[in-house]
Amino acid sequence: MTLTIVSLLPSLQNTNGDAENAAVLAARARWAGLDARVVAVEDPEDLPERVDAVVLGSGSDASLERSREVLLGLHDELRRWGTEGVPILAVGTGWELLSWGIELADGRAIEGLGILAGRAVPRDGRAAGDLVVKASGGLGLLVGFENHARDYVGAEASTLGRVQAGSGNGRGSGQEGVRMGDVIGTHLHGPVLAKNPRLADAMLERACARSGSEYAPGERSVEVDRFAEAARKLQLRAAGVASSADA
Amino acid sequence: MKYAPAILVGRLTRIAARLRKPGGGSAVPGLVVNTIAPRYLGTTLSGFPRGLVVVTGSSGKSTTTKMLVAILRAHGEAVFTNPSTANISQGLTSALLEQADWRGHVPGDVAVLEMDEGHGARVMQGVDARVVTLTNVMVDQIDRFHDSEMVAGMLGRIADRAHGSVVVNADDAYLERIADGLRDGVAVRRFGVSPTVLAAAPRGLGHTETSPERLDPADGVVVASVDGASAVLADAGRDVAIGLPARGTHYAVDAAAAYATARAVLGEQFDPEVAARALSAIPAVFGRGERVTVRGQEVDFVLVQNPASYQLNVDSIAPGTDRILFAIGSDVRDPSYFWPTDASSLGRVSIVSGSKADEAALMLAYDGVEIDRVEHDLGRALDDFLAGPAPTSGVKTIVFSADAMRRTRAHLGLTGAE
Repeated sequence: MTLTIVSLLPSLQNTNGDAENAAVLAARARWAGLDARVVAVEDPEDLPERVDAVVLGSGSDASLERSREVLLGLHDELRRWGTEGVPILAVGTGWELLSWGIELADGRAIEGLGILAGRAVPRDGRAAGDLVVKASGGLGLLVGFENHARDYVGAEASTLGRVQAGSGNGRGSGQEGVRMGDVIGTHLHGPVLAKNPRLADAMLERACARSGSEYAPGERSVEVDRFAEAARKLQLRAAGVASSADA
Repeated sequence: MKYAPAILVGRLTRIAARLRKPGGGSAVPGLVVNTIAPRYLGTTLSGFPRGLVVVTGSSGKSTTTKMLVAILRAHGEAVFTNPSTANISQGLTSALLEQADWRGHVPGDVAVLEMDEGHGARVMQGVDARVVTLTNVMVDQIDRFHDSEMVAGMLGRIADRAHGSVVVNADDAYLERIADGLRDGVAVRRFGVSPTVLAAAPRGLGHTETSPERLDPADGVVVASVDGASAVLADAGRDVAIGLPARGTHYAVDAAAAYATARAVLGEQFDPEVAARALSAIPAVFGRGERVTVRGQEVDFVLVQNPASYQLNVDSIAPGTDRILFAIGSDVRDPSYFWPTDASSLGRVSIVSGSKADEAALMLAYDGVEIDRVEHDLGRALDDFLAGPAPTSGVKTIVFSADAMRRTRAHLGLTGAE
């Protein structure tokens, strides 16, 4: 069987290369000897019959309304995937659109799809730079970059982890992201799954378990993860976080 | 007279900087003069008899500026211009000081400045430009500009300083919106590509948002066709054949931008044949698609500055080139925005280096590129790469970011063109 990884709205939601996380999942699956394909879904009509994992990246504020319109057409599917345990990674404004809603700095509000708890609220100044998160669930330290103009509140009961460096959800919460079952929302942008192979593999394990197959990282993954490890070490040092915290 | 003391201090600072770092250009004199005479930059920029021309945008501004200067000089204009490494205020002031007499007066009838899109709006406060040329809006360094709206906003503020004309890339939807919002009395000139040229670009033009329709040749300068390193511009019913500094549609677009801008600056005086000759005589652009001889061998330098130039320049490396050094430096703080690009055509890279070597190796690996070695020390990487075996195909090729380029040139003792 072929693992089908859906990249949602890559034309609108790929500001920082977050949509490339779909390709990262597919590459790791192939390195593990599995068949995998990435399907770009720009419109509900593009949806494949079977969906094993979903990636939704971040866009600009100007694309919020347009992206929301398209996502509304996938509302039932998103709900179903969430309850069926299809792993979903949503980044930045993609995550915000899956929340209860987005409060904009000019006072307007955009209603979210209500897939994830919490809402995005304005923050003073932009949070940009290194973001390191001590994640629960055996994921170790998540290392990457953040760049967002809003905080996130209402996710305190089920966050992705605790902030070791950076802003994360902000508002003094000391927390980052939201995780409900296999649906993850995070400010970690860019190739977060390449940089954090444990998270990628956790998603692939879930996807494979659902389809009745097994996932074990391939040899090439091990080689490539050495680059990730070296990049993580440098970034952890720059962010002033001890690598030993990565347990 | 009033700037004489500041100029003197700036000169002395420059001498001191040169003593400390021989051969080095420095922004410090500019910083000093900007501090003690904050109005010098604006006053001088406003003082050129035939006005100020500003070229800005996400990418292509260096090439467009060089091409424009070449066309204007070929028409006999005395042009002041800035080196591309000096496109923010300190650098601009330093560049003016290089040419200024003791009173601060800079010779030249017209100034053509490449301006950084992020700093331009501030530099241009209180300064009027005769012509502003906008190249494109692409997603640029994410640390600086979080999204394309922000870049477009900054370009719009620079365009608002134009009192004569604004020259825009008609294929860029963001720039067309800026053109729509200009005040009355400012002429809009356009350049763009033909449907054929767009169809032949394997990955499109790289704009954040491409305009839905192509420019009608009756409404501006259109790149009618591109064939390797030559192109044909359609201008007011006339086909103008030009040579490009290297292969690539983006050079043809830059040439069209320069051509359209020169037309706006020169008016009746503009001669298409003179422009075509000037464009065709431009040497390969510094650092980008440049072939140099180092340590007795030919080496290609390929500069990557943003996702668009990365893709175009990586695509332009001949497939099968089997000796590649890939160096990304600290200028790329967060490489995330490079991930949508595809470097799979490189196949194999001998050494990945630079302070962002690991991040770069990770990205290349996911593109399916084989990596023989990661060497953080760029000097050692260069030495080993140049001493290593000759390629079986093509010439040794060094792909670098701007910071890695500067370090490479310094290490190899190559004097920068600027």
